[in-house]
Amino acid sequence: MHRFRFTTFLTSNIDIDKNTLDELLGHCQMRFVNKGDFLVRAGEFCTHSFFVEQGLLRQYSIDKKGKEHIVQFAPENWFVTDRESLFFNQPSSYFIQALENTEVLLVDERFINELAQSNRAFLDFNNKLLHSHIRQLQKRITQLLSATAEERYLDFIRIYPDLLLRVPQILVASYLGITPESLSRVRKELAQKNFRR
Amino acid sequence: MATKSVELVASPREPHFVGDGFRVHNFIPSGYRMDMQRMDPFLMLDYNSKYNFPPARSPKGVGVHPHRGFETVTIAYKGRVAHHDSSGGGGVIGEGDVQWMTAASGVLHKEYHEEEWSRQGGEFQMVQLWVNLPARDKMSTPKYQAIKNETISRYYVADNGGEIEVIAGSYKGVFGAATTFTPIHMYNARLKAGAQADFSFPAHYNTLLLVLEGSVMVNDTEQVPTDHLALMANDGDTFTVQATSDAVVLVLSGEPINEPIAAHGPFVMNSRQELVEAFNDFNQGKFGYLED
Repeated sequence: MHRFRFTTFLTSNIDIDKNTLDELLGHCQMRFVNKGDFLVRAGEFCTHSFFVEQGLLRQYSIDKKGKEHIVQFAPENWFVTDRESLFFNQPSSYFIQALENTEVLLVDERFINELAQSNRAFLDFNNKLLHSHIRQLQKRITQLLSATAEERYLDFIRIYPDLLLRVPQILVASYLGITPESLSRVRKELAQKNFRR
Repeated sequence: MATKSVELVASPREPHFVGDGFRVHNFIPSGYRMDMQRMDPFLMLDYNSKYNFPPARSPKGVGVHPHRGFETVTIAYKGRVAHHDSSGGGGVIGEGDVQWMTAASGVLHKEYHEEEWSRQGGEFQMVQLWVNLPARDKMSTPKYQAIKNETISRYYVADNGGEIEVIAGSYKGVFGAATTFTPIHMYNARLKAGAQADFSFPAHYNTLLLVLEGSVMVNDTEQVPTDHLALMANDGDTFTVQATSDAVVLVLSGEPINEPIAAHGPFVMNSRQELVEAFNDFNQGKFGYLED
């Protein structure tokens, strides 16, 4: 168990003293989650932000008809959490599940708060992360309302370059809000355009 | 001539499934000391030891996946595998056959138990090996060498001691059926109990033996049982293999390519940038399309 990626993630983005960081990391906990296991289930309270050191998580909801909808994938170096549950103290509407054996850092709110108070650069960095997360969500809303299946797919491979080889296509289709058949068609058409032999 | 000694005898590790059709012990690169650098030019060796698959109407196997930058070599000992690829190629690898696929610039393929075999089920035993390509050939045009058992040349061991099938390279003047990009020797030594064969490869070639049937004694000192792998040291050139019972041994030896290795999933290139390109090209359909 290590937290190499998280440490690098912070030290490469802000000026922070190694000892201060180690002390604050005492508030965080590493956990190993087996493929298929859950960090959060709908109805439970989500108490942490999750940072993926190694492996892959997904956040999804299940509608009344029992259909799954993937909101986010979180491979290495990604955060995932249910903000409504964590910050507004509501039972979660989401499941957060490991799609591979995953090493995850459970980031405690105390870590964020104490670091934000003592380190101005971290506060700015954290704000930047939040803004880019919101920007990403806005784009995703627009896309789900108006983009073609091909546009959604092209954006997906830009954001997640190696996921097609890590998750079944049915999950990719669920994330894109299209049918698996549409995803196949898009990939086939792209191949017809780009395949040269 | 100095004796090439045994560096280690590796027992098969806990098996895992590749797709649902291959139950394999990985020997290279994840265990022992046999990483990609040590075993250069051999990047990966998965061994499906004898395993009984029950009859199945829908064939088990591995769905569509890409490769770039190296060659995959499938050696069938028991059972039959059917494969299809994105350029429209396909075929069946039967018992004793070898498929040498040069993925090079990129292939999408899938591998399943052959339909008729799958319906009957039975004992299944295979080796899949990944052989690296030198930088200059990594982006060359993909190709196949489908090597049927009856076309493989044999060296006959004295006193009815069995035979050495020469798949690639050469053995005592008998030349292998496969062409390779860098010097590689690959044999199936089928030795009768008590028979002995000697082998000679340059000391710096990385060399290993995998025992598929029976057991053998190497250099009169090291016993290598069934399903075990002997890694040979780089300290000499010649060694002997004596069958202590009727044995089948895969003998592999290759000249190291000695270039940087950047590997991720099904792509093996020389730099991180080339890996990123491989993912991009795959995502954009440049490897073609194949129905699952």
